[in-house]
Amino acid sequence: MTRDSRGNWFLAGFTLLVFILLYGPIFVPIASSFFALKQGVVNWQQPTTLAYVTLASNEGILVALRNTMIVGVSAVVCSLILGMASALYFNSGRSKGRALLQFIIFLPFLMPPIITGLALLIYFREIDFDRSLVTVIIGHTVFVLALVYRTLLVRLQSLSRSLVEASYDLGASGFQTFRYVLLPNLTSAMIGAGVLAFALSFDETMITLLVTGTDNTLPTRLWAMMRLGFTPDINALVAVILALTTLMCLLAARYLMPRESTGT
Amino acid sequence: MSTDKLLLELKAVSKSFGSTNVLAHIDLAVRDGEFITILGPSGSGKTTILRMIGGFESPSSGQILLDGADISPLPINKRPFNTVFQDYALFPHMTVAANVGYGLKVRGTKNAEITDRVSQALALVQLADFAGRYPAQLSGGQRQRVALARAIICRPRLILLDEPLAALDVELRRHMQLFLKDIQREIKTTFLFVTHDQEEAIAMADRICVMNAGHIQQLGSAHEVYYRPANEFVARFFGDNNLIEGRLQETVDGIRWIETPLGRLACAIDGQAGVAAASLGARAFAAFRPESLSLTPTGHASENATRGCITALSFAGAHTLANVAVDAAEPLSLRLRLPSRVEGVAVTPGMIVDLYWRAVECRLVLV
Repeated sequence: MTRDSRGNWFLAGFTLLVFILLYGPIFVPIASSFFALKQGVVNWQQPTTLAYVTLASNEGILVALRNTMIVGVSAVVCSLILGMASALYFNSGRSKGRALLQFIIFLPFLMPPIITGLALLIYFREIDFDRSLVTVIIGHTVFVLALVYRTLLVRLQSLSRSLVEASYDLGASGFQTFRYVLLPNLTSAMIGAGVLAFALSFDETMITLLVTGTDNTLPTRLWAMMRLGFTPDINALVAVILALTTLMCLLAARYLMPRESTGT
Repeated sequence: MSTDKLLLELKAVSKSFGSTNVLAHIDLAVRDGEFITILGPSGSGKTTILRMIGGFESPSSGQILLDGADISPLPINKRPFNTVFQDYALFPHMTVAANVGYGLKVRGTKNAEITDRVSQALALVQLADFAGRYPAQLSGGQRQRVALARAIICRPRLILLDEPLAALDVELRRHMQLFLKDIQREIKTTFLFVTHDQEEAIAMADRICVMNAGHIQQLGSAHEVYYRPANEFVARFFGDNNLIEGRLQETVDGIRWIETPLGRLACAIDGQAGVAAASLGARAFAAFRPESLSLTPTGHASENATRGCITALSFAGAHTLANVAVDAAEPLSLRLRLPSRVEGVAVTPGMIVDLYWRAVECRLVLV
């Protein structure tokens, strides 16, 4: 490398600046959550964990957190089952029907969530389906399915077709081939997709606001708290959500990274 | 060894993908216990034949009969055939033992029996110590042998091998050719082997089926295919050959004459009914191998002779190859193959040589 080192320094400085400007604000609420707050002003001389104590005793937030967990886990399970079935079907041959199916699965992910949410809302009202956590789960499943489907399909397509052929050739049934050959090779993709889907569901606000009944999830609860005023709980909550999301993304990256070569 | 009993028959099998005809009216009979090789350049349809027998593709028309019964309705997993895939298709998440035992496991065989038969099969392919390894920890040749063990463990009627040696280096390939042939003799199972490599076909096959452009060009022993090519494609595809075009003349005492730019050539026609029956004046090739040409008279009653000038020489180890320009009615070049000599070669470029070859080594190929 004989590159101009001044050029490199400039690039490094510029990148740092962009990072500070774009990502810096994320750390402000985290930092301020550890300090006392008086009339909306952070007192940087007074470190405290009071915000977290208040958060832990906030019944509304704990219920919202539980709801978020229920919705997230359910949406992950539903989207994994549906995504697996769709990916297996899509990969089993070529037809216009399959291409259409794939397009429909991708649609809610590409559309603005408000459109997906409104469409679901209108649909649920038309068929007199009471809004509850169930409708939220349905909404989230529709939203994250594209990601789960795509992740599974990519892994499925990376497997040599002759693996499936070899399994049939050796006398296995379709189910045995799925159980013994495909599933073990898809496990890491399923974990990765599941974690990402959970993170998406965890943050999802727009669809949830539209299709939920009286139940609150964490993001909608946060939304409600914001309107009532800037309390220390919010900083703490933002910090907690960020920590959880980061953790899950790290997990997803861990499982979605290509494994070290296992040969062919 | 093979018997005359038929195991498998393809009757008028055709296959097209969309508007592309890959195979046209293939008739092929596989004998019980033989090692049959389907040989052809890429795109000749040879792999498609294998995949239709295995059940991975279905024929567009025609029938595939096993012991005289149509197997078209049988899905892949109900056919008593096993395949060795070109990329081996070993299950990457299973050990060698689990890979080999897979066919027994999915059939619900008892664990004790699976263990026994897996160790037998691994011993047969000389991999007894590798049972606990994963495919990624094996070399190409070892994976190849695992794939073979996995295919033979269910005692199939027929083993289909789809260019399994293509990915191996030359040395290992030679070794595996002998190894496969030994295994085939030992387990007395019919092998159907697909390859594009003529040397591989000659080294292993009891019978060779030469394919081109979706048609069978010739089916016969390696000897027949090599020395009595049925047509120009086989004559050119199979090893080095001299082909001189001419017009057929009369037959005298099992020798048919042909008028060529080299003059009248005498060609033996035993075992070639079609050539014997061809009409006078029909166009044909006289085909003779570079190694059948001699620099001295053969002393044989019916021999052909011509004279030419050496234009190029290439040393190829045991043999030296030469191009000979023949001063005929039109310019012709012959290929000549001579044993190499330590102290030098018997010929040098520019030398005028007389070439002799026996009628029995000069064969007719109809155009």
